[in-house]
Amino acid sequence: MAQGGNNRSRLLLVILLVTSLFLITLDLRGVSLTQSSRSATQSFLAPIQRVASSAFSPVSHFFSDVKNFGKTKAQLKDVQAANAKLRAQIILNKNAEGQLLQLKSALNLAGRGGYKVVAARVIGRGSVSTFTQTITIDAGSSDGITKDMTVISGAGLVGVVKSVTSNSAIVLLMSDPSFRVGVRIARTQSAGVLLGQGDSSYTMQLLDPAGTIKVGDVLVSLGSENNRPFVPGIPVGRVTSVDHTSASLTQQATVIGLSNLSNLEIVSVITKPATADPRDGLVPTPIPTVTVFVTPAPVVFPSGSPSGSPSPTPSPSQVKK
Amino acid sequence: MRPARIASSAAFLFFIFVVQEAAIARINFPFAGYSFYIAVLMGLLAMEDRSAAVMIGFIGGLILDLSPSIDAPFGQWAFVMTVMGYIFAANRESIGDFSTRPAALVLFVSLGATVSLLIFLSVGALLGESDGNFQRILTTSLGNGLWTLLFSPVILPLLSKFRRISLTSRERK
Repeated sequence: MAQGGNNRSRLLLVILLVTSLFLITLDLRGVSLTQSSRSATQSFLAPIQRVASSAFSPVSHFFSDVKNFGKTKAQLKDVQAANAKLRAQIILNKNAEGQLLQLKSALNLAGRGGYKVVAARVIGRGSVSTFTQTITIDAGSSDGITKDMTVISGAGLVGVVKSVTSNSAIVLLMSDPSFRVGVRIARTQSAGVLLGQGDSSYTMQLLDPAGTIKVGDVLVSLGSENNRPFVPGIPVGRVTSVDHTSASLTQQATVIGLSNLSNLEIVSVITKPATADPRDGLVPTPIPTVTVFVTPAPVVFPSGSPSGSPSPTPSPSQVKK
Repeated sequence: MRPARIASSAAFLFFIFVVQEAAIARINFPFAGYSFYIAVLMGLLAMEDRSAAVMIGFIGGLILDLSPSIDAPFGQWAFVMTVMGYIFAANRESIGDFSTRPAALVLFVSLGATVSLLIFLSVGALLGESDGNFQRILTTSLGNGLWTLLFSPVILPLLSKFRRISLTSRERK
């Protein structure tokens, strides 16, 4: 009897495995049924994600907030229970302020580049089971968004639109390991390819064998044919280290992305590129460093300088003289 | 396994899938992400007999394949979870009843969550997909396993209650 049960379960296993393989084959052959099922799920999930996004917005950064909790622990202890409601309101306001700031900077970047954009709120993130780094935004084809459009934040490139439904879209983040974008160094105009690594760092491979990369170089997008998927001139990242030991013909560099992809709330989708390439017009200008020279005051001894005692330290200006 | 129970398990798993996609996926877990859905599915697989585990694994995998952000062929998760269902049921029979060994169940489910991700990646590699460097894959898989280990003591008793409700009085005996 038990043997019969085992045989039945083995038969069921074989049938289901064959069915799975059949589905995989259908998908790989591009049968629209499997594609449309995911599209339908996205249409179904988008309104729920939108509601959940509003509800979960204050707690979505819970763990990172916990890290900073200790710094203000002493102050928080003094806060009375009567202020709890007010604190919750402040958290909500801060969240709205943060979103406003992100929207403002994204629109500012788009304005400077002359791009026509559609601003969108991030309502979902790719689950760990997908092994892809994506976000879901609350704007879709009804807002003029189509596949392969460039997505930016206030700081620079975020990713590219991967799929679209009428009221939502999935954006493949530039940190995804499958992400590739053509870039050029703003300083030298040398072209290269930037590869996603799965985190906030990227690898850049220079295409020009004679080109040079320096730490601190800013990379901007090279642009694609017909501006799809990438419009030119979008700031992408900054070089943090250059690999001189590589055996490859061209240089490689490690790059840090300009956009912080871990806490995106508002992004902009470029629906119409600028009429002219902005070249290096969008490269962030470094904030000038202010150097302060401290001139020590001369030491005054109450009754003249004792013999053998050190003389007061001269100021830098005195040294120059 | 009754068709009504398959339907109720599928509906329950779909609900968990919606919760995962709409809410859990939004939380930035440190170290690596956490899949509530995989944890629940592993929990269900650990409580079923062989035929039911294989069937629920297949259905659970199909639901996971519906994820819009997934970049793998439709059916890949169904394949992986069917295999996981069989592995779970076959090993469960040798381990014995989990109801008297909650710690073993928690470890079994956490290990299953990690192994399922690794099998998914292995199948993906056979199909020519690239999912990043080794360190990232290891971090994601182990991180998910760790979070599953931490949350399972809360999830599994609730899951056990749901299963008891879905069983008929005859099946309970």
